[in-house]
Amino acid sequence: MRRNSALHLNSSSRPASVRARTRTRFAFAARCCLAALAVSCAVVAAAGRVAPFPDGAALAQVSGNERRVWDQGDEAAGQFARGGVIYESEATTAYVQGVLDRLFPEFQGHMRVAILKSAQLNAFAMPNGRIYINEGLLARLNNEAQLATLLGHEGTHFTHRHGYQSEESVKDNAAFATLGGMVVPLLPQLVAVSSMYGFSRQMETEADVEGFARLKRAGYDVHEAPRVFEHLIAEIKAEDIKEPFFFATHPKLADRVENMKKLSAGVASGGSGTSVADYSSRMTQVRLDNLEHMLSMGRAKSALVMLGDPDRRAQLPPQASYYLGEAYRLRGQEGDIKLAEQAYVQAIEAAPEFAPSYRALGVLRLKVNHYADAQRYLDRYLELAPEAPDRKYVESYLKIARKKAGGQP
Amino acid sequence: MKQMLTLVFVVLLCACQQMPERVDTARSEAPDKSYTVDLPVGWIKQQTVDKRSMLASRDGFLLEFVAITKRPLKEAFPKTKKAATPDMLPAELAELEIAEIKSQDQFTAALSVAENEPAEIGGQEGFQVRLSYKNIRGLEIQRVVDGFADKSAYYQVEFGAPTLYYFDTYYPDFQKVLASFRLSAGDKKTTGGSAQSTFLFGSVR
Repeated sequence: MRRNSALHLNSSSRPASVRARTRTRFAFAARCCLAALAVSCAVVAAAGRVAPFPDGAALAQVSGNERRVWDQGDEAAGQFARGGVIYESEATTAYVQGVLDRLFPEFQGHMRVAILKSAQLNAFAMPNGRIYINEGLLARLNNEAQLATLLGHEGTHFTHRHGYQSEESVKDNAAFATLGGMVVPLLPQLVAVSSMYGFSRQMETEADVEGFARLKRAGYDVHEAPRVFEHLIAEIKAEDIKEPFFFATHPKLADRVENMKKLSAGVASGGSGTSVADYSSRMTQVRLDNLEHMLSMGRAKSALVMLGDPDRRAQLPPQASYYLGEAYRLRGQEGDIKLAEQAYVQAIEAAPEFAPSYRALGVLRLKVNHYADAQRYLDRYLELAPEAPDRKYVESYLKIARKKAGGQP
Repeated sequence: MKQMLTLVFVVLLCACQQMPERVDTARSEAPDKSYTVDLPVGWIKQQTVDKRSMLASRDGFLLEFVAITKRPLKEAFPKTKKAATPDMLPAELAELEIAEIKSQDQFTAALSVAENEPAEIGGQEGFQVRLSYKNIRGLEIQRVVDGFADKSAYYQVEFGAPTLYYFDTYYPDFQKVLASFRLSAGDKKTTGGSAQSTFLFGSVR
């Protein structure tokens, strides 16, 4: 997974050039914080454990420092909401919430799920029981059992109070104190940071094991569990992501796939939540939104992981070939423009009323001086999308195409 | 001893960092003399350490800013690690610029584009993108980015401010800055903008 920018939450209004001046020092401070967090998590794990919550009723007893940590979680939740990063889909959110409640029936009403507008493959649990899952991860999963694997893992971070333990360890750890004033300004955001970057090796392993037990108890097919981590491995390969600093203390993804396979080895096949068609029908819009999101961020390789598989593409609406074409065009490797063109043509055949395919093909033809073709496709685009936001660009292309197409058939 | 070392470190750090200065005369020149631009008199201005950006602000860089940036084509979009090329269509450059801003953090990732259209910057064919997003406090930020590429570099002239009060107040100043942007004579000889212009507009006007 790409490193999350939780430490840069206040930077949005600054120009890139202003941020560049402080980035190095800030990155160093962030690394120090995370190093201390990693070390201190290990210290707490060794020193002693806080008992998990037995059920939702026990949450009323939360007080003192833990209550303060919860309040920080509430504050982070407010920041997500105010920042406009919540993916607003009542139906999808209700569906994901339903899966979470099935896994944690004794916590129903106390654990709340939200989807974030982010193409990154990530999910995290706040100490107060708020579970966040990125639209990108939701889109990448294949079925409900895989979603349940993920939610079982994140839910366990909450029920086993991993967020609270991590935050406490950060405060108490002597190593952390040596960082002095540099760290103090970041403390209010540490709850969010620790949740989003993951917990200690022991906590992650515990979440895997307990989450797996929940999955089994709820009747899901446990053999889907390893596949969740395989999606993450594919993403890391596609984006050529180096082993993140903080995750160096965590079980490696390949090891987690193996652990999950071992856990599920003794369990008979079967169980629910394996229908790809059912999950796909619920995730169609999320997947399309995610594709647009990925491509608008230039993440062509990630989009190709999702679209390169014909089976997965078949789960998407007919215009999916257009997004495949866009992914090839944006990747821009040798031969990609040809592949893009083929995909656009397929998209026009499969979804003749979908306007963007005509614009994309028109621009490609214009760039190789096939002006008559370009004019035909661009005219069709504006016919289908007269209010297109890029109309002025397209009109400028059409002027050229019309003028140059004079002598072309 | 430890305190002394800290003091020396701080002094060295300050010495390396150019301090903001007041704009006394409007005309400002890029560090490599590749362009000139008129900044509003009375504002503060500062160059970034890498000398790739010239920043100006009335009330502080964290409130509102105008930034004029020049980057080598291969490093045009550092966050997304994408390069610009002189033959890119303005719409393609705009697409990469939006991707770059979206890649800054999770709040800009959720931005919405209000306008994206062809534009002329100092006689060069380029793009203008207007976008907005909310920051961590829910404050809406608006940004306008104009950009173009020539044979050697990618240029952008950018304005950003909170929608509340600041954007409308200082947008006219940004428009003046943008209108004053000119590539210097020496740099014009190396521009690919003319080739782009011929492709896009030059031959049909």
